[in-house]
Amino acid sequence: MTADHVFTALASPARRELLRLLLDEGVQPAGRLAERFDMSRPSVSEHLKVLKDAGLVAETRRGRERLYRLEAAPLMEIRDWLSPYERFWRDRIGGLSDLLDEMEDEEDA
Amino acid sequence: MPDPEDKRAIRLDQFLAHPPAKVWRALTEPELVARWLMPNDFQAVVGHRFTFTTKPVESTGFEGVVHCQVLELEPEKLLRISWSDGRNADWTVTWRLEGEGRGTRLFLDHEGFDPDDAMQQMARRIMGGGWRSRHFAAIAGVLATL
Repeated sequence: MTADHVFTALASPARRELLRLLLDEGVQPAGRLAERFDMSRPSVSEHLKVLKDAGLVAETRRGRERLYRLEAAPLMEIRDWLSPYERFWRDRIGGLSDLLDEMEDEEDA
Repeated sequence: MPDPEDKRAIRLDQFLAHPPAKVWRALTEPELVARWLMPNDFQAVVGHRFTFTTKPVESTGFEGVVHCQVLELEPEKLLRISWSDGRNADWTVTWRLEGEGRGTRLFLDHEGFDPDDAMQQMARRIMGGGWRSRHFAAIAGVLATL
């Protein structure tokens, strides 16, 4: 699981809506989620699979049903993106690292 | 030992493949600092007041000047400065250097964030279980622009 998977999964409005439903209403079966969408049930299942592959939802079986629940942990991966100052400092420390490499060249020269 | 759960702070660390003496120069010589951070009139003297200047950010009301003062200084080990963008006061930025092999482990603490600042605390709410759909909508909005 990578941040790329999470970003890709979140790029779809339908998948964001699925996450929102799981967030607001808790664990529920695929069938009940599918009822909320105009698209076909297989399409909804496909979206759920993308979310599952990204680690954003977890699937458990109960009889013939598949139950889905939200997994917040992968969002740790995008935490940096949500904190502008953390991003700022990470970028700047990257610049510092580059500068130190350049200083070596200048001093060797 | 800083509290890793402290929601008022950003704490980062990074290994740099250069000795502390050299990293210290890059942190304290104004012309070097300008090359990786911002133009400044820093002096390595406790109590010295200085500014960083950069481009204003109109959308946030930031005028492009960061007002700072040297609070604490221990050559090649520690530099603590106050940091204010003129709107949000009482931040401190602390650089700490520790030798690690042939290089340096650089620690950054940026402290004093307002716990009521939505952007700063969003990630914490996600992880803390208090996540609400309006926050999710905001996250989705951010992600959509990446």
